[in-house]
Amino acid sequence: MKNIVIVTILISLALLGIIFSYVGNIIGDDMVNILSMLAAIIILVITVGVGLKYVNQMKNDKASGQLADENWDGIGEFKNELPIGWAVSFLTTIVWAIWYWFSGYPLWAYSQIGEYNEEVKTYNKKFEEKHANISDDELNNMGQSVFLVNCAPCHGVSADGMDSKAANLTKRLDSISVKHVIMNGSNDGLVGEGIAMPDRNGLININTGNSISDAEISLVVDYITNGFVGSQGAEVFAGVCSACHGTDGTGIPMVAPNIKNFTVDLITAVLQYGKTGAIGKMPSFKTEDMRLTATQQKAVATYIIKLQEGSK
Amino acid sequence: MFHWLEERPFFFAVGVFLTIAFAGLIEILPSFVEASRPTVGTKPYSTLELAGRNVYIADSCNACHSQLIRPFKNETDRYGMYSLSGEYAYDRPFLWGSKRTGPDLHRVGNYRTTDWHENHMWDPISVVPGSIMPAYKHMFSKSADLETAYAEAVTVNKVFNAPYNTAITMRDGSSVTVKLPATYDEAKADMLTEAKIIANSMKNQDVKDAVEKGEIPQIVALIAYLNILK
Repeated sequence: MKNIVIVTILISLALLGIIFSYVGNIIGDDMVNILSMLAAIIILVITVGVGLKYVNQMKNDKASGQLADENWDGIGEFKNELPIGWAVSFLTTIVWAIWYWFSGYPLWAYSQIGEYNEEVKTYNKKFEEKHANISDDELNNMGQSVFLVNCAPCHGVSADGMDSKAANLTKRLDSISVKHVIMNGSNDGLVGEGIAMPDRNGLININTGNSISDAEISLVVDYITNGFVGSQGAEVFAGVCSACHGTDGTGIPMVAPNIKNFTVDLITAVLQYGKTGAIGKMPSFKTEDMRLTATQQKAVATYIIKLQEGSK
Repeated sequence: MFHWLEERPFFFAVGVFLTIAFAGLIEILPSFVEASRPTVGTKPYSTLELAGRNVYIADSCNACHSQLIRPFKNETDRYGMYSLSGEYAYDRPFLWGSKRTGPDLHRVGNYRTTDWHENHMWDPISVVPGSIMPAYKHMFSKSADLETAYAEAVTVNKVFNAPYNTAITMRDGSSVTVKLPATYDEAKADMLTEAKIIANSMKNQDVKDAVEKGEIPQIVALIAYLNILK
């Protein structure tokens, strides 16, 4: 035993000497280097010591205990008791396996979708908290960024509809749309209106008692798209349209929408349900399809209303 | 018994193999079967959509556009619900793509329309300023390969048992049947009906004329395909 200790110390010192001759000059007084060196010394001493112990044991130890009956090409097996530490860890693995099989894996396993759900939940909560009392300015800013990502591909960055590829949102209505609705009627019920707008045959001018004529259509289209100015158009509007859309065109709740200005209700309804108009079909940006949240829809509405006010 | 095995390395190895293979089988197979089953609302492609899908492949759209939305908030905000493996049940081959030079297209049918695609394929910069996507004007004059699409539909129907002519339950509870007529002529008539609906919402007169004449330009087939990606 004494020999092992002495040899261990000698070999460790020799190895340390070799290491030191290589890296001694860069150790300095850096704490990390000193600690690494200390760890190296401990590892060296333990390794050399344990190695020598086993070499010694192989040389001198005699096997003891009772041999089992079977042997494999001369290699036998002792019938010794299981060491207690070994037995305990074996039983622990069995208990752990039962826990892992019935609870650990099924209930606690990592799931990408689980992480995604957590992420969305946390974000939505933060979003709700942050924008619980959102101001008009903030809505407008949010609306602009939502618009640039979701609406600009069709309506254009400046919302002008890119040469009639989509509706021009800087105005409430353009002549194509007004004409299309007068000719074909409308029944989308977007703002909760209970009755459909009839096509041109059902639009009666109460002043003349006849359905609207081609000349009257072009007059009233000009009147509406030019911002409700002009006396001839105003007469036709009063006779045909005002009964439902109100004398000033701002609409009557549950009867007909505001055709003078955009309203929050109208825009959020169009975003939620989509719309088929004179130009084509606009897809919906439903909350349920994970497109826009209610706050984002309101923000877009605010942005578009401000945009229209700005261009007057 | 174990003693007998311990003395015979070959049979011992066979035993080890069987044990591990069995464990693998009961671990891997059920979840694999579960994941590859079509999700509710997934239906096989109609022949016109298949023709459009072949145009998509022929023009290598999948080199720049992926069709796989990963479950990250920043992706679902932009593209919609993350993709499920069962949604690709009738994709042969799948078109997940591996690089996004352009945006993901897995649910493009939810937020783009026929007329938008028409404008975009004709001149991408006219609707997306700064886009680097090339124009695909040849799709407006070349005709789609309808025979191949029909042959493909018949093949997947016979070989892989794709459920054509069978009522398929959709997510809202309604049921949809994707038709696959017994002859090519009937199939072509169906494709033309579908194509006419799309051509009606398009502006290009050449495309409208071609469909009137009984031909289907590639752009119509491609739009039919893009519109059902949702």
